[in-house]
Amino acid sequence: MNKKILGSDIVRRDILKGAGGLVVGFALAGCGIAETGGENTAAASGRKPLGPYGPPADEIDSWIAIAEDGTATLFTGCCELGTGSSTGLLQIMAEELDIAFADARLHGPDTSHTPDQFVSSGSRTISVHGKPIRTAAAHARHALVRMAANHLGVSADQLEVNEGVVSVIGNPTQSVGYGDLMGGKLFDIKIADATDGESVGWYGDDTTGENGEPIQQSLVQLKDPSQYKIVGTPVKRIDIPDKVFGTFTFMQDLKVPGMLHGRIIRPPSHGANVIEIDESSVANIPGFVKVVHINDYVGVVCEREEQAIAAAQALNVIWSDWAGLPDMADLNDVIRNAPEMPDGYSSRPDRPPRPGGIVANEGDVEAGLNNATRTVEAFYTTPYHHHGSIGPSCAVADYSSEGTTVWSGSQTPYGLRESCAKFLGVENNMVRLIYVEASGCYGQNGADDVTLDAIIMSRDVGRPVRVQWMRADENGWETYKSARIYDCRGGVDAEGNITAWETLTRGFSGYSRPQYHEPAHGGEPGSLVPAKLAGWTEPGLEEGFGGAAGNFLPVYQNIRNKLIQFTYLGAASHRDGSLQIRTGSMRGVGSPDNIFVIECLMDELAAAADADALEFRLRHAPTDRMRAVFEAAAERANWQARPSYSQPNQGDIAYGRGIAALGSPVDTNVVGIFEVAVDRRSGQVHLQRAVVAQDCGLVVNPDTVTDQLEASVIQNLSRALKEEVTFDNSKVTSLDWVTYPIMTFPEIPDAVEIILLDRQNQPPGRVGEPASEVVWPALANAIYDAIGVRMREMPFKPERILAALQEQV
Amino acid sequence: MAASQTLRVNGEDVAVEVGDSDTPLLYILRNDVGLKGPRFGCGLGQCGACTVHINGESVRSCQMPLSSVAPTDEIVTLEGLGTKENPHPLQTAFIEEQAVQCGYCINGMIMESATFLDRNGNPSDDEIKTALANNLCRCSVHLRIVRAVKRAAQG
Repeated sequence: MNKKILGSDIVRRDILKGAGGLVVGFALAGCGIAETGGENTAAASGRKPLGPYGPPADEIDSWIAIAEDGTATLFTGCCELGTGSSTGLLQIMAEELDIAFADARLHGPDTSHTPDQFVSSGSRTISVHGKPIRTAAAHARHALVRMAANHLGVSADQLEVNEGVVSVIGNPTQSVGYGDLMGGKLFDIKIADATDGESVGWYGDDTTGENGEPIQQSLVQLKDPSQYKIVGTPVKRIDIPDKVFGTFTFMQDLKVPGMLHGRIIRPPSHGANVIEIDESSVANIPGFVKVVHINDYVGVVCEREEQAIAAAQALNVIWSDWAGLPDMADLNDVIRNAPEMPDGYSSRPDRPPRPGGIVANEGDVEAGLNNATRTVEAFYTTPYHHHGSIGPSCAVADYSSEGTTVWSGSQTPYGLRESCAKFLGVENNMVRLIYVEASGCYGQNGADDVTLDAIIMSRDVGRPVRVQWMRADENGWETYKSARIYDCRGGVDAEGNITAWETLTRGFSGYSRPQYHEPAHGGEPGSLVPAKLAGWTEPGLEEGFGGAAGNFLPVYQNIRNKLIQFTYLGAASHRDGSLQIRTGSMRGVGSPDNIFVIECLMDELAAAADADALEFRLRHAPTDRMRAVFEAAAERANWQARPSYSQPNQGDIAYGRGIAALGSPVDTNVVGIFEVAVDRRSGQVHLQRAVVAQDCGLVVNPDTVTDQLEASVIQNLSRALKEEVTFDNSKVTSLDWVTYPIMTFPEIPDAVEIILLDRQNQPPGRVGEPASEVVWPALANAIYDAIGVRMREMPFKPERILAALQEQV
Repeated sequence: MAASQTLRVNGEDVAVEVGDSDTPLLYILRNDVGLKGPRFGCGLGQCGACTVHINGESVRSCQMPLSSVAPTDEIVTLEGLGTKENPHPLQTAFIEEQAVQCGYCINGMIMESATFLDRNGNPSDDEIKTALANNLCRCSVHLRIVRAVKRAAQG
């Protein structure tokens, strides 16, 4: 296998011919790429040092390469996580470049080839990270038209472009294709506005950023959305054919020559230390290569996969006893008594944390409660959740002192690369991370950790090693969605208006990634379990800020007296923190919990006011865009105004409806209306119909957006009805699909109806996560409407429903 | 114990040499035969990602030791079910319905559905859901998968 050259000494090279035609881009000389398909696009010409964060974002060549056959390759730092976002990014590039979608190709992420686009998370690939791609494509088209003008001897304003062919308006025989114009050459052109981040407007016409700073105007005209031919259409996803024919290479399928197989042996309890390892217990296993042991880090490496599994099971390790976790029954008290972290709530290291974790403090809540005719006091809790990836995490590493290549399914290619480099004590550019799509992750599963596992084992044995986690490794050592508790109070006056609103939240970090949130670069190995086990003592990034995400604020704008507080309980890793259960991001990062509580409290106040749940929400001043979404959902669901719970039904099956919403003046607005049937005898809840209406601005691909929303309903129905991570005093015990059941086919809703509001003239918003966040409260409110009991503790398991009904009697 | 035997996979005889005859068929198919359709999900027979056909029946290959597979047993994987040039109706239907997100479970969904449709050529939605009750999908594409199976059945 080629040894890699990972230094920054890039030489200008002749353009190489790849199987897919001539393609250029920044790349490293002599990089070995396994079977990732990179050969077609890795041919390269670099002109300058890549720097610690990859190709410069302000050059067209960093993003787009035109081959001689006219195909265009997008070099993106965004990870396709199974949501179809890469197809959307290609639609954006093809649209702005004016090529046929079939001529668009994808490459990356790869820290040696593609720009750093931070973390592919938060449903922001299109809405945030699509912007620089759109801008780069517009610049490329602008340049190509100018080249064509020279070539054809006419002025640029006499030209039009159709599917990559530039022709003279009115005289189509006078034409030249993109491939002939510049196939295989570099643009060598700067992009006027190359910023990748939330502060950049989709239309390139923003004059100021979020903090009032001036944003440089793009010098190149972006296409008017009314002219779109590819964006806004249900293009079929590029990845699906290979996935249904068994020809797709997942991270779990990747092989490199000379590769060995590794398995991890994590401690039997979160705080246990290695006392002794008896290597003779595995010495006779065929194919055994080595026990990897550094402090409390233990792994085994064998020639074959089944040998490594056998060795991991057979290895006799004596661990110290540790039983530092509380009883699960005491979890709420533990969270209540956990010390507050002084940082408060701040999702970004470059912004000061909000003191005391107060998100909003307006008016006077006590006075508002005193003025209320009816008040509500409620205590809500949410449990820990597993991500539940169907394929356990996997990575392949090829360590060398001359440069290490690692293939990884991480959502944070650059931050993880930096974390791994720091762990190895080398410069960033001595580690190359090539992203390979893995099993869906839904947040920070084991993908980051297993990447360092593979590096540690490869370093120890001096050969490439593939590490595949087993099911129990994934469930036992990934990060979990933090459990949270909420103390809520509210009041309504005689006119049915809210006089007071108070939600006091306590929870652990929602962020354990090895990379800062944008716009800061950088990574720290302390966030990774293998680093901690191997003796890395520097803190991880989760210890710096909460990452608890937003959506603490209700969408209702005329609530005068409100106190909203988030008490941040700090980092919770398996080895540190006041409760040693490691928390991290999972679809929504606290938002599903917050919206659950906000929209259930809203429902409680509506009931206290004897008001219709929809009318009560509308009277509390949602934005016009939010209101339109309410109306679209209500119309489809044929919502009839009445108070809840007003139709007591004493039959065995009780039926109810519930509504929930979330929105933002600058992002997605979504409303869910759910219709449930509750079986009083068994406590089973069945979702008969879900209507979800969403205004997420410009929709790049209506079919993948609809798909995301349908799936958001079902995944979050599963989380609300069934899911709860369990633990004993030593470790997590929900280690397989029997102990952590998720939704099965017979349990899915009868119908899920998605409505996308036509907002093609608005910037694109986030897609999948917002829709996820209305599911828990819409369900809880529907259960209340059916049987008159408030489900304030998740999951809504049959035994909880039955107990609540019993209490009601 | 060491095992050297012939397997019949996707219509071809393949010689494999494995140290331990208890090795699950899944690892042989993936690492020795070089197939990517059957996938490791749980190793416990709980999720269905590793499903293959043996003599026309859906089998969890992570639970099937090599020693219990005879050289004459017809093993079919997702690659053998159909190809881009000659697709199985289910593969066509899954593309038409865009019934895939990450796709890690899709091998099991298609393979399980294929033997189910062999038994029931005109299933109801509820029958499809029951047939797939032991196949897990975390991306939660269930609605589209049911539609795709129905589309395949209706030709």
